[in-house]
Amino acid sequence: MRYNLLKNRLLILIILVLIILFLNYYQGGVYQKKVKNFFYSISLPIQTTFWRAGIKVSDFFQTISKINELKKENEDLKLKNDELLSKISNLENLQKENQNLRDALGLGLVKEFNLVMARVVSKDISQDVIEINKGAKDGISKDLPVITSQKILIGKISEVYDNFSKVMLISDKNSSFSAKISGKETTGIAKGLGNFSLFLDLVPKEAEILPKDLVITSVLGNVFPEGLLVGEIKEVKKSDIDPFQQALISPFLNINNLDQLFIIVNF
Amino acid sequence: MIKNLIILTIIFYFLTLFQISFLVHFSIKGVVINLVLVALFLINILEAPEKNSGVYAAGIAGFFLDIFSEKFVGFYILILIFLSLAIKIIFARYVRIKIFQRA
Repeated sequence: MRYNLLKNRLLILIILVLIILFLNYYQGGVYQKKVKNFFYSISLPIQTTFWRAGIKVSDFFQTISKINELKKENEDLKLKNDELLSKISNLENLQKENQNLRDALGLGLVKEFNLVMARVVSKDISQDVIEINKGAKDGISKDLPVITSQKILIGKISEVYDNFSKVMLISDKNSSFSAKISGKETTGIAKGLGNFSLFLDLVPKEAEILPKDLVITSVLGNVFPEGLLVGEIKEVKKSDIDPFQQALISPFLNINNLDQLFIIVNF
Repeated sequence: MIKNLIILTIIFYFLTLFQISFLVHFSIKGVVINLVLVALFLINILEAPEKNSGVYAAGIAGFFLDIFSEKFVGFYILILIFLSLAIKIIFARYVRIKIFQRA
């Protein structure tokens, strides 16, 4: 009796392993993609509802727990707003001057990105990877950059299914790309640490980096277009032994505000 | 038996969707509670060690976690089945509490 039970369990385990091997390796895992795509398709309405409810509920709790912080932030923002207004008027003058010069030189307008809009439906439980509702049928392919409407860099497409895609966030442990400090010539490699945090590595020791410095993408490596917002410097780590310095980045990417995203189809 | 499997499939399908689309917004210092694992532990701990529902539940939960993750299909299935079998062996051999020995 006990022997038969053991034999049955072993048989079930062997069949299971065979099914797993078939799904993953037969014709390069094409059936695995089909099965996943099927489940994503039927789950989309439920996932969208859960995702939006999650954003609303977490917003509510965050607001309650951060009332004092928000008051201070509001005052800081008012000050910053005044400062920015004066900068805008200066920039408007410069823009006019720039336009005049462009006209004079016969240059065309700056090329805009070709974008495809997508919605976030879920996040992987063990990695910084999210799922969006656009896939190969919408012209999405691997490695395309993903941004928000404010030009904040979110990540790049890591896997494409027919109707869905996975996006590896910039904070994922496997993510690395070249970045620079805005307004300075300082460049480095932004690497993900997981759990929505990342750091700037391989920054020359003599370069000056300060907390609150703005980190943007650099054209080196050709992974992302230049000038996309990454985050701001949180903490600088310098050591006499290391030839380079590092800096922790506080990313602008916030999972609780992610709903609509844009995929840059060509840049 | 089949009725149990259907119920387990429906429960773990919705739990997985709830986990990946709702609970990810509520992380504490980057850690999110994994309801699928909690449910699986409870099923395996509360049922009699000689019963198999916990192992089937592990297979179903693992399947849905694999489907909605970057990992290959089979990663969570195998981990959770072995975890469930380990719980059963530990409880069958080393734990002697009446609540765990229900028929």
